[in-house]
Amino acid sequence: MILRKMFSLTRAGIMESLHFRLGTFAALIGNITYLILVYFLWKAIYESSGVTEVNGMTFSDTMIYLILASSLFTVLEMFVVWDMSRSIQSGKIILDLLKPMPYRLYTFWSYSGSHVTMFVLTFIPTFVIVAIITGGAIPMGINLLWFLISIVLALVVNYNMEMIVATLCLYTESTWGINIVKETIVMLLSGASIPLAFFPEGLRHAVEFMPFRAVYDIPLKILLCKDQAATLPGVLAYMGIQLIWIVALSLAGNLFWQISVRKITVNGG
Amino acid sequence: MADEVILMENICKDFKVLNRHEGLKGSIRDLFSRDYKTISAVKDVSLKVGRGEILGYLGPNGAGKSTTIKMMTGVLEPSRGKILVNGRVPYKDRTANSEHIGVVFGQRSQLWWSLPLIESFKLLRDIYLVPEKEYKEMLDLYSSLVDMSPILNKPVRQMSLGQRTLSDILAAFLHNPEIVFLDEPTIGLDVSMKAKIRDLIRGLNKEKNTTVILTTHDMGDVDALCRRIVIIDKGQKIYDNDIDHLKSYFGSYRTLKMKFAGDRWEEVLIDEKKDDVMDIIMKMQKQEKIRDIKLDEISTEEVIKKIYEGESA
Amino acid sequence: MENTKKHKRGLGFYLNIYRKILVQDLKSKMSYRADFIISTIGMVMTNVAGFVTFYILFRNFPQVNGWDYHHMLFLYAFSLIALTPVQCFFDNNWNLRFMVQSGDFIKYCFRPINVFFYFMSEVFDLKGLGQLLFGVGTLIYAWHHIGIPVTFFAIAKLLVFLFTASLFMISIMNIAAATCFWIQGSGYVMVIMFRFKDYTRYPASIFSGIFKIIFTFVIPIAFVAYYPALMVLGSAHTAPLLSKLSPLIGLLFFWLSYKFWMLGVKKYDFTGS
Repeated sequence: MILRKMFSLTRAGIMESLHFRLGTFAALIGNITYLILVYFLWKAIYESSGVTEVNGMTFSDTMIYLILASSLFTVLEMFVVWDMSRSIQSGKIILDLLKPMPYRLYTFWSYSGSHVTMFVLTFIPTFVIVAIITGGAIPMGINLLWFLISIVLALVVNYNMEMIVATLCLYTESTWGINIVKETIVMLLSGASIPLAFFPEGLRHAVEFMPFRAVYDIPLKILLCKDQAATLPGVLAYMGIQLIWIVALSLAGNLFWQISVRKITVNGG
Repeated sequence: MADEVILMENICKDFKVLNRHEGLKGSIRDLFSRDYKTISAVKDVSLKVGRGEILGYLGPNGAGKSTTIKMMTGVLEPSRGKILVNGRVPYKDRTANSEHIGVVFGQRSQLWWSLPLIESFKLLRDIYLVPEKEYKEMLDLYSSLVDMSPILNKPVRQMSLGQRTLSDILAAFLHNPEIVFLDEPTIGLDVSMKAKIRDLIRGLNKEKNTTVILTTHDMGDVDALCRRIVIIDKGQKIYDNDIDHLKSYFGSYRTLKMKFAGDRWEEVLIDEKKDDVMDIIMKMQKQEKIRDIKLDEISTEEVIKKIYEGESA
Repeated sequence: MENTKKHKRGLGFYLNIYRKILVQDLKSKMSYRADFIISTIGMVMTNVAGFVTFYILFRNFPQVNGWDYHHMLFLYAFSLIALTPVQCFFDNNWNLRFMVQSGDFIKYCFRPINVFFYFMSEVFDLKGLGQLLFGVGTLIYAWHHIGIPVTFFAIAKLLVFLFTASLFMISIMNIAAATCFWIQGSGYVMVIMFRFKDYTRYPASIFSGIFKIIFTFVIPIAFVAYYPALMVLGSAHTAPLLSKLSPLIGLLFFWLSYKFWMLGVKKYDFTGS
């Protein structure tokens, strides 16, 4: 019953994002253009450097990684922080809190529809094109299944991070500032703008202990069977890391949320 | 009326909207659909408004009120028909037109959100190129009509809804426009604030002979301010005359008010042609003891309701 | 009477109004200091992250397309400064689609002043100034290491071409924002266009074929730093024709984007209320 309620939210979300018809096309074209920029930049970089491999990444490895990361970015993109701040400033938050579903769960399931649409409209076409162009550079096997699972986990990690940042909106009106800090840190440290392989040794080690790589880097490694993901135990270990982050972040996020909501209900928002 | 500030002849406005389909399949179909339909928001409306009038412009939600206002303010271009506001075609010269009008949309402040009201006034003075002397006179007039001291130095974002509406109305009159459009100015306000705002509008209209076009759902506004009302429904003008005249259409209607124990009043609308007043009183009396009885003429509210419901007189 | 009034609303009128709104706005911003601090931290973080990205790249690849570290750094700083005006003066573009959707946009159409001006004047964004400082610092450093002589002419040229460069980014964002008049869910268009700005800091010589034309004339990111910066880095003889013409092309782009934005206002039928 509960599951049906949640899937109806997913369905409504899919319908809503399809209603943005022209916006969807525009996003598609924009993404392709962005990827072309990425391609030219890295082509020039590799050509000028005169080597074919840097830190175990060839030009096509880097390209596949970045292209898929960027389309994953579109899939995972959420505006939770903005939604939250608008609903706080308009006072709508009180109504949201009264909904018969916990607020955090409600937000998650309302976004699930746009995730599914974006995955089908953006990621799958990108993936197919990349797979055809690179002709076999992406392994096609059981890794695809692991990848799908890992993406769902990544989604949950990402959502939990978004939610923690969004909760900060209960304390300050500076949504822009909060959001830009979040975006910058996630983009850089998750490996979405430069593959983590290029990071200097020290920074790379530090990043391994942060939740950001569970969003882009781990799913992509699993998809491309890179590093530890070449073996099944390695894949499971990666997913283990994602799970640990899900547990840790949702516990922390939930606690933070409870405390913060109590604060606004006490102060009368 | 020799001195017309608004003249509309056979004005029509059509909108093209996408035909949306239901369900998930429909959404996917809409992604590629070119299936548009035309909606006529305003159909063949003609209207004349004289200088200094306060016109009640009424109609149920979605009747075409805002669309008409938008055409008068020059924001929308009519699909067909002739429109003149202060002798100008508003959409052709929106800027010139807007110098001579003021607009207030209830609940949507047009003032600078973070600025104190007085700073907003000064900016508007500069924007409308109001001479210093006239500006001072206007502020003096305001002070005589309403107590501005609690709001003058307060940023708009910190104001209550009532204060904000008051500020917006003052700002709309600041450049002494010929016409002021007020869209639901008293929506969401308490009784005393409503009275304050009605007094202010009446005062400004009287002092400056400003034409006021008032759209509202609050019949209290209409009763307090308007002599003439225009009713529009489904894009068409269905009534244009005095309020008193309107009531006489429904002359056989009476509002029967009965008081019961605990100071509880109940109202029944009766048509003397069909119903017998005594019968109704007897029936009620059998159920519960009636303490007091009043027989009033039909209220504006009920007349409008009857018209919206399509009961022709 | 009518004519004289109209005549009075010239450049001076608009500058005066803008100055007054700005002063008042700054005053009220002072009372929201927490917001200012957080936004500034955010801006500093973006710039640090941008620089880290840049640095990581150059750590692995010491030169790109014949551009060495200091020249790349110059281009990077140049683009940062060129992006400041769009952030400071045209930031309200980000609110456009919300206002259009909710119908609140209509309020800009009731005043006897230019709608585009009125809309943009409402927001002056201080946080762009942090980026300006960061850019200026980096530019001085790179300028010094490249060894461009410091003359009055060189500085004047720098200013003219920085202004030129900024026009292009403003135009891009105007057009991206104005798409909301036609399409729903246009938020992505702005987000993506804004992401393009990160690619303005690389030499446009990396593009080839049809994309060279696209990134020069359709989405003019090659003009946001590369072409104007070449005028400052080299002499008038070595700079390509497009560099020399960039001020004119910039004005043209800005004018087109303004026209497109205003067309959107006209086209939009305000059914949102």
